[in-house]
Amino acid sequence: MPKVTIDGTVVEVPAGTNLIEAARQAGVAIPYFCYHPYLSIVGQCRICMVEIEGAPRLAIACATPVTDGMVVRSETSARVKEARDAVMEFLLANHPLDCPVCDQAGECLLQDHSFTEGRDTTHMVETRRTFPGLERRLLGPHIVQNQNRCIHCSRCIRFTQEISETAALTYKSRGNHAFIDTFDGQPFTDPFSACTADVCPVGALTIREFRFRKRAWKLRSTPSVCPGCSIGCNLWIDHHERTVYRFTPRENPAVNATWLCDFGRFLAESLNETHCLHPLHRVEGQLHRVSWGEAMRALALDVSAARTLRVVASANLSNETLFLARELFVRHLKGELVVPVHPGEPRRMKNGKGEWLYSRDAHPNSEGARRLGLELVDGERLARFLYGAADLTVILDPTAHPYLSTAEALQLLRVSPTLSLARTNHPTAEVASWLLPVASLASDEGTFTSSGGHVQRFQPAFSPAGEARPAWQILQLLARAMGVSALDLDSPAAVFAAMATKEKGFSGLEWERLGGGSPSTYREHQHVG
Amino acid sequence: MRTVAIHAVPEEQLTHVTFDATMEERISELLTHYPTRRAALLPVLWLCQERYGWIAPGVIEAVAARLGESPAFVQGVVTFYTMFYTSPPARYVLQVCKTLSCAVCGGRELLEHLKARLGIDLGERTQDGTFQLIGVQCLGACGSAPVIQINDDYYENLTIEQLDALVDELSQGKEA
Repeated sequence: MPKVTIDGTVVEVPAGTNLIEAARQAGVAIPYFCYHPYLSIVGQCRICMVEIEGAPRLAIACATPVTDGMVVRSETSARVKEARDAVMEFLLANHPLDCPVCDQAGECLLQDHSFTEGRDTTHMVETRRTFPGLERRLLGPHIVQNQNRCIHCSRCIRFTQEISETAALTYKSRGNHAFIDTFDGQPFTDPFSACTADVCPVGALTIREFRFRKRAWKLRSTPSVCPGCSIGCNLWIDHHERTVYRFTPRENPAVNATWLCDFGRFLAESLNETHCLHPLHRVEGQLHRVSWGEAMRALALDVSAARTLRVVASANLSNETLFLARELFVRHLKGELVVPVHPGEPRRMKNGKGEWLYSRDAHPNSEGARRLGLELVDGERLARFLYGAADLTVILDPTAHPYLSTAEALQLLRVSPTLSLARTNHPTAEVASWLLPVASLASDEGTFTSSGGHVQRFQPAFSPAGEARPAWQILQLLARAMGVSALDLDSPAAVFAAMATKEKGFSGLEWERLGGGSPSTYREHQHVG
Repeated sequence: MRTVAIHAVPEEQLTHVTFDATMEERISELLTHYPTRRAALLPVLWLCQERYGWIAPGVIEAVAARLGESPAFVQGVVTFYTMFYTSPPARYVLQVCKTLSCAVCGGRELLEHLKARLGIDLGERTQDGTFQLIGVQCLGACGSAPVIQINDDYYENLTIEQLDALVDELSQGKEA
């Protein structure tokens, strides 16, 4: 592999690596605006110029592959500094100085570079170019355009051409007047439309749903996995003060590169829906608030007393929760357990190699349930399952299948006592005799197995709302109350370790190495996105 | 020399364009000259402008479908080049050269004369839809300045008298 010296640091990188990525490995941040690791290289912005020893002129780092013995100067070269200053001055000639009211501030490549390297003066005395009518235009259902801020990097255009393949965006007109538009100004309805705001290095394209809801620097990012379908896109939960504000893509070349589809991305706010905050017990038709201790003691008796026990699990639950449920309800209590699944809308995602991944499965963890040997059933078989008699029904996720909210299902659940985990308002709450508040994905920890077979870890962003607990913990508490010490595992990591030793589908996997590690181990995520 | 008037097809007739046999034959022939379909975009657009008088959004969609490009991409190309008409042009588009050689040889006077005579400004058209006045950059005929291009034809070494005669002829519907 070629060895290259960048600002005095020697790194060895695979042949074909460009200087921006090589420098990243050497710990040198070469600035860029138009370059994106998953888009074609156009060399438009010129800010990544570096000095290469032996070359007469400065070269753009994005389009220069490393060669063995290359000596590159970026921050240590006066020529480079001068050239970048000039580029910045041109870029800022027309860029509005509206950072205080721009929603991109804090995650803006132009602002960052201007702040660290730019000058605080300009030669520009003319009136700035503006695009009347395009300062606050709704380009599509999710994207707001402010053309005045555009630096013409063409990342959004290349995204629609190369990644989402709709080629829905283009430059209209040319030169100083060029602006981003769709064909004939039609709505920008690309299913990946919000990614164009991710790749936009400035505030020209912003996401309608997130605009002005939270300043970027207030947000904390927690690694997680998209719950929207079985592809399992890696994402960050961006949150502040126990509220989820958005999902942003987390880089994973094998799954979603740095993309998210609009459907998955806008599930973010659904994590804030927490209506069930305390354990509730129905006595004579009325729900009464009880403590976890009381609930667990009473439930332990109810569960042990049930001669026939049936459990409706869910392909939305983590591997750890499903494993605990299977061990407790099936292995230990000899109950019956099914995992209802229903086909979802067709979804797709492009990985880092440019291959499409497809899913028609609305659940993030059907593959995990399959690997645990659980019985996956459709709505029809779920109905048959509920038609059978049982002393106690346990519903681990009322949203597991739409059938559970039908009048028929509710009628069947009324027949015998039902224990349901609940987070949001759901019709099953009307018939359940026990309701236990369960945490959302943002407060849960565990792993999902994607349809591609990746076991991917998600981390808790903040503690659950009210007295809610993560599903795995509710099962652990129940196991403890029933005296099943083998399942009294105090963390998802411990559950995973137990699962990895017992289950073929998980053998050899180590919790610590499942990704989702500390945020600092990733490429600075705002800047590749 | 005969200057052929432009007959711009009205937009309402261009909402759903299907290429007729002649067009299809010419497009297919054009495609044989290029390695990719995208490479034939400009000549196909020229062909369309010749056939329909201008490049309506409906024409863009038809071209995009024929060449396997997105309408947005094709529209980007159309709006990049100023010589594609994105609105129906007048029958005669007077393209007055505004660059140096013509300007010093009387081009400016020609332009002012046209403005006064037709009662329109640059970029505008006469009410009857006969003339449209636009200023263009160098037409590459500096040796015979001042030059005005009308539709596809050059009129060189023009004097105001010649120009007046020309405009008279054209406005009488005769093809000069």
